[in-house]
Amino acid sequence: MSKRNIVIALQTLCLCLAIFMVSGCSGSGSAKNEEVIKVWHWMTDRQEAFEKLSKDYYDQTGVKVVFETYAPTDVYKNKITAAASGHLLPDIYNPQSDKKELASYINAGYIADLTDEMNTGWKDVFFEKSLIANSFEENNEWGVKPGIYGVPLDVSSLMIYYNKDLFKQAGLDPENPPKTWPEFIEAGKKLREAGIQPFVSGFGEAWLIGAFAASYQWSLFGKQGIIDTIDGKIPYNDERWLKIFKLFEEMRDNKMFASGIVTMVNKDAERTFATGRAAMTFNGSWGVNVYKSMNSTLNYGLMYPPSLPDAKYPLLVFGGDGSSMFVNAESPRKDKAIAFLKWFTQKEQQAYLAKETLNIPSNKESADDLPEILQEFSKSITKTFDNLPKLEAWQVTNYININLQSVIIGEKDPAKAVKEIQEEKLRQTKV
Amino acid sequence: MNSFKVKKKILDVITHVILIAVAITCVFPVFWMLSSSLKTNEEIFKSISLFPEAWQWSNYTEALLKAKFGMYFLNSLIYTVVGVSAIVLVTSMAAYAFARLEFWGKTVLFYLLISTLLIPIPGAFVPLYLLLKSLHLLDTRTGLLLCYISGGIAFGLFLLKAFFEELPREIEEAALIDGCSRFGIYWRIALPLAKPAVATLVIIQCLNIWNEFLLALVVLQDPSKMPIQRGLMVFQGTHMTDYPLLMAGLTIATVPIVIIYLLMQKHIVKGIAAGAVKG
Repeated sequence: MSKRNIVIALQTLCLCLAIFMVSGCSGSGSAKNEEVIKVWHWMTDRQEAFEKLSKDYYDQTGVKVVFETYAPTDVYKNKITAAASGHLLPDIYNPQSDKKELASYINAGYIADLTDEMNTGWKDVFFEKSLIANSFEENNEWGVKPGIYGVPLDVSSLMIYYNKDLFKQAGLDPENPPKTWPEFIEAGKKLREAGIQPFVSGFGEAWLIGAFAASYQWSLFGKQGIIDTIDGKIPYNDERWLKIFKLFEEMRDNKMFASGIVTMVNKDAERTFATGRAAMTFNGSWGVNVYKSMNSTLNYGLMYPPSLPDAKYPLLVFGGDGSSMFVNAESPRKDKAIAFLKWFTQKEQQAYLAKETLNIPSNKESADDLPEILQEFSKSITKTFDNLPKLEAWQVTNYININLQSVIIGEKDPAKAVKEIQEEKLRQTKV
Repeated sequence: MNSFKVKKKILDVITHVILIAVAITCVFPVFWMLSSSLKTNEEIFKSISLFPEAWQWSNYTEALLKAKFGMYFLNSLIYTVVGVSAIVLVTSMAAYAFARLEFWGKTVLFYLLISTLLIPIPGAFVPLYLLLKSLHLLDTRTGLLLCYISGGIAFGLFLLKAFFEELPREIEEAALIDGCSRFGIYWRIALPLAKPAVATLVIIQCLNIWNEFLLALVVLQDPSKMPIQRGLMVFQGTHMTDYPLLMAGLTIATVPIVIIYLLMQKHIVKGIAAGAVKG
């Protein structure tokens, strides 16, 4: 073939492709006459389960629901932000934001108030804590009308997983994990003596180290104490804050942490625990599914973070909230979207979703059908942190988490760490 | 053996040891990808062996079916072929104009165009989304392609302008005397001579468009228009990743780009040697 013919062939190919492409310019090709409820979700691994449920819904009601999943989460978030600015949000979605940003979506009219719908008896099926996470209290700092805005699809909490085989190897009773802090430290010592890394977690991710510390914050301060700290009435160099930092120091001095813990992301921590290279890990309920995929023969149990003998308040754990969905207030199919979510959160559908994804369903009636380990997690939902009407400035929270990491690596002592946090708090208060 | 030969031998050995070490670091991730694509998920985490215990060829068929690679593959092929062709055509004409023609505001316009290289794609998501919406091009292949083309213009311009400036003016002047038009000189003389630089641009833009999916996820909604990288996303959940299928999918997705690279490799080396990337 001559050069000229090759050029002509290439040009023709380009032209054909261009025509093919332009032919796809008519937007999404879903049937024009059929009303379709669009759901944007970020968990691609649930696509099959979602499709099965939406098919069931179509068979029962004739209403078509399309789940479109986009991952990773930051791309999903970008898509939501862009769609919101163009008033092109789907019927059901989640802005994947903190409470402050969620409030801005509500105030901008992008999220429907579901309080009236929930009060028709719908809310009774959910774990109370899962609804709290989707609600706004009276006099909240963001000026959102009090009410329920989100529909929880599942819930999660964070506890300590422990490897029963490694406990046995270290001479510990695998059926009686440590319940108090001194017992926890003692168990750590025995594990270390047996050549086993006692504790691992993704403490390189600030939120995870913060979640572990927050259990002791609730235990020592209680809800009002935490609010008072946010309001600046209790300083961060208070004795109780010092105590929290000393807990991490004690763990460090007793060589409880796995090597590299402060730079470890949770994925690595999960791998370390799943492959038996650490005896305990602080992780969320999603870990059940993760550990199953990494090592199906892993023999483990669950325990609460160990309680402090002299604490004034009960020890609570991070969680309650899982993945929730919100209805687009601007959607012309708003009522149908709400009807679908009502169906979606009923016992049968939730049980199916929980079975397929090994997560804790938000419908408490479905919890009885869960595997034993998830049932334990579901019981912990009642012991998760309460909703707070306000949040600490992120700069201060960041300082707490970074200074906890500094204490673990021995860069700072607890007294210096809390002093610096208080200084940051004062700086932020002035701002 | 004299001391010079001994010295040379030692230097050769050291050079080769370094080169082998560098080659291993480059090849190892590819080897790990291939090896993991033939293992089970549990084996990846539990076994430290580089070779699978039992070769799971079924991972490839499962990845192909689960990720709907056929459809995504065709889409990516379209985006890459049309996108790269358009980038080469537009940027080569523009670069030639910037290199050879004199017009008002040339330098300012050039730097203005080049400065778009500094804008990260995620930073442009919202304005692009709004622009495509107002043009009724959201969720269309054309809309996505226009984004890809505009995204590739700055780099292409930067690369080709430098190359065109290096071409001897005498050849073009001879063609002008013989009655060739400006466009004729560009099409018949400058562009064929710029083949090494164009090859470099083609391979770089092929890689960019083939591997891009952030923009596609934001701009497109219809799964039937998504590129191949969307298929790989199926294996990555928020908490879970199906590594064997992901690695099998990655292997499948990598093959075309490796073929293009091998075909163009000779020209790229020439292009770099000829100063195509010196800017």
